Amino acid sequence: MNLSKLIKPFLASALLTVGLAGCGAATDNSSEGQKPAEQPKKAENQMVNVYTARHYEADEEVYKKFTEETGIKVNVVKGEAEELIERLKREGESTQADLFITVDGGVLANAKNNDILQPVKSDVINKNVPANLRDKDNNWIGMSTRARVIVYSKDRVNPNELSTYEALTDEKWKGKVLARSSTSLYNQSLLASFIELNGEEKAEQWAQGIVNNFARQPDGGDRDQAKAIAAGTGDVAIMNTYYVGLLVNSEDPEEKKVGESIGVFFPNQETNGTHVNISGIGLTKHSKNPENATKLIEYMTGVDAQEFLSAHNYEFAVNPEAKKPEILQSWGDFKMQELNFDTLGKHNHKAIEIFNKTEWK
Amino acid sequence: MGIHQVKRFFQKDFNSWWIISMVGAAVILLPILFVFLSLFQEPNQNWFQIRQYLLKTYVANTIILVLLTGIFTAFLGVTLAWLTAAYDFPLKRFFRWGLLLPLAIPPYIAAYTYRTMFSYTGVIQSTFRNHFDYQINPELLSISSLRGAIFIFTLFLFPYVYIMTRAFLVSQSSSFFENARLLGRKPLAIFVRVVLPLSRPAIVAGAVLVVYEVLSDYGVTSYFGIHTISTAIFQTWFGMYDIDSAMRLAAWLMVIIVGLFFLERLLRQGRRYNVNNKSRPLMPMKLKGVKAVAAFMYCGIVFLLGFLIPLIQLIAWAKLTFHKVWNESFFTLFFQTVYVAAISTVLILILAVVVANVSRNHSMGSFVLAKLTTTGYSIPGAIIAIGVLAVFITLDKWLAPFYSYMGWGDAPLILSLSLVMLIVGYAIRFMATGFNAVEVGFEKIGTKYSEASRVLGLGMTKTFFKVDLPLIKGALISGFILTFVEICKELPLALLLRPFNFDTLATKTFQYAKDEMIYEASISSLMIIGISVLAVVVFQVIDKKVER
Repeated sequence: MNLSKLIKPFLASALLTVGLAGCGAATDNSSEGQKPAEQPKKAENQMVNVYTARHYEADEEVYKKFTEETGIKVNVVKGEAEELIERLKREGESTQADLFITVDGGVLANAKNNDILQPVKSDVINKNVPANLRDKDNNWIGMSTRARVIVYSKDRVNPNELSTYEALTDEKWKGKVLARSSTSLYNQSLLASFIELNGEEKAEQWAQGIVNNFARQPDGGDRDQAKAIAAGTGDVAIMNTYYVGLLVNSEDPEEKKVGESIGVFFPNQETNGTHVNISGIGLTKHSKNPENATKLIEYMTGVDAQEFLSAHNYEFAVNPEAKKPEILQSWGDFKMQELNFDTLGKHNHKAIEIFNKTEWK
Repeated sequence: MGIHQVKRFFQKDFNSWWIISMVGAAVILLPILFVFLSLFQEPNQNWFQIRQYLLKTYVANTIILVLLTGIFTAFLGVTLAWLTAAYDFPLKRFFRWGLLLPLAIPPYIAAYTYRTMFSYTGVIQSTFRNHFDYQINPELLSISSLRGAIFIFTLFLFPYVYIMTRAFLVSQSSSFFENARLLGRKPLAIFVRVVLPLSRPAIVAGAVLVVYEVLSDYGVTSYFGIHTISTAIFQTWFGMYDIDSAMRLAAWLMVIIVGLFFLERLLRQGRRYNVNNKSRPLMPMKLKGVKAVAAFMYCGIVFLLGFLIPLIQLIAWAKLTFHKVWNESFFTLFFQTVYVAAISTVLILILAVVVANVSRNHSMGSFVLAKLTTTGYSIPGAIIAIGVLAVFITLDKWLAPFYSYMGWGDAPLILSLSLVMLIVGYAIRFMATGFNAVEVGFEKIGTKYSEASRVLGLGMTKTFFKVDLPLIKGALISGFILTFVEICKELPLALLLRPFNFDTLATKTFQYAKDEMIYEASISSLMIIGISVLAVVVFQVIDKKVER
């Protein structure tokens, strides 16, 4: 056999392999610049790495201001909360992430239960954030809230007719109630809070009552419920204040009209308070820059950042010192549900089961 | 096995192609295997609940969705391909590539766009309300249903079938069609009796991609509130916090897919349609009068619904929000998207060619292996991502001593915090688009030429570069377009596997769309569409040169 014939294919394969490896290496090098996590020795004191499920411009602005003030660079990976939790779990001790940020108490509780967080120790934070908006072990710190309220048609509903979430199950609202699908985490946490406060049986009765009063099968997101009120499909809807803010400030005049045709009502003020969704920040268990991370939490819960977030994202501040922007002021003050956010995660499973049982689509 | 046989194996089969293909396949299969292995874990409580309450409707919905979308896309794709290949009518030259453009719009963006257009504040209802003082019943225009999803998927995925079938028909020997014409067959009869059976491998290759995409879709189905196996996977993971059961569901999905391969292979057994006598391009026949108008209308309506209308709507929204959303960082996003997509596409095509070349000359075993490497397309991206994460983090932990020996610091995560992880993820997920196109190319030319070349003394490598490669160029080009465009649109992998501070246009779009800020999402959506259109146009130009 010809020797060259024997060698050539191997040579070709080697070349191809080198080529492939080259591709990989090339990308590796080129991304090094944007990837400070790889040079921990030198840059250790000047950065903090964040995994966040909140993807708002307002958050980025706050990071930018933080960097300007402290010189600490903020590196960000944005993703879905559950996926980031999974990534943190798999990375384990090797993780480069210092902070985990997400929306919803249930998910925060889940992160805590997965043992990827550790307590934050800071007097500043303890002063910035009231104890009921923090995890009891400070495994996560609240950074903002959104109220899940009853929204009503200003034309057809007198707010005096409204009182509680429970009252929406009355015969009176038959064919008039709107809500989004039960696959929404917001609804799951709402029902989970009822399971905690009123017990399983009452919670199931409530879900069944709402389903019986549906103006239509759940369709679309929170905004779509407001639009359905404007269209006259239903009179009242369960939705987040955050989306009301987005509608009122929309660039589309038609959406603005929708936003202005609806009113915000905080239910259960005489009883156990209005349900809120909380966004929170947790320090990862294997954080490599815990001091910088703590500084960032302190900054984000400080008055300046809180007022900024509230004004640009239509969320309620957790820091009681922060002033409310105009639109939030127009909705008025309200009493919040008093419950341990851990319980939302605990009852999430049951909540889904009830939704399936009551055929809340 | 005797020593003689072993020696023969090494001489005959164990060449460089085989090695590369094995190594490539292994890299791709490892994360898929990781998902697959969850089948053998002890099922937990949730799994039984899923099986008892949810699975029946989910499976039923999935089958309806996949079946109807498959049929409709095949119909649209093949008829349009035949029309533009065999006939001449007004604007045909434009439609030839214009009908590829719906591919540029990711189905989830199309779903958002159409739904918002039809909503209470959308252009249709508000025009009627404000100008004609008439309120349309919003229920009439609601498209968030199984029907709506089939509509969206069909309109925006049919180009898969179209591109593959068309490439096949144009370069296919025209003698069959012309003989049929000469023998007095009516056009319809030619289409049914000659075109359909001849282009079957291409139709199947395209339809398989559609079916995969629908099976793994989460964006459209979850937005429309349809329960499918894919949404069940996410409900299990995000709703019940149970990733093990989620992966188990995904693994079952994968088993079904592999089953489908064998079914198709079985149905096609013994029939090989490579007809490669002198490849003379098909001469189109001129349509006149009513027929020409009908052909024009048919292409025009599909183009309007599948591209122009959503495009105009997105541009209108972009105008509304431009001052609020636009900043320089979009240039970076643009660059990063193109950069990572280009590298990944080249990698995928090289691997696809190697694996396809090996599997066409070898046994059933290598065929199975080749097909397995394409299953990544049928599994939701987020689940693949978990497999990739698991493999890469393990790899990094093994390599940690090597990293610190090299003086790269003590941080053990290097590969998994670099773009390499994302690129490998793309390769796993989109092997199918590259591979299927290349395979159609090989199928078309058959093995006659390469066998002749081998008999005449050229080695496999030389034969490939001198004989095969020039012949499959067209297929490579369609493979490149499909894969490149897919990667530009891809979301779940980019979301979970990206390194720090790395964004693509798709992740930017998601950032807004997730909060129902579809107006704000329009600029990045348009940029994705722009890149894809550019890719289509550039390769159209190259394609013309190749055809000559």
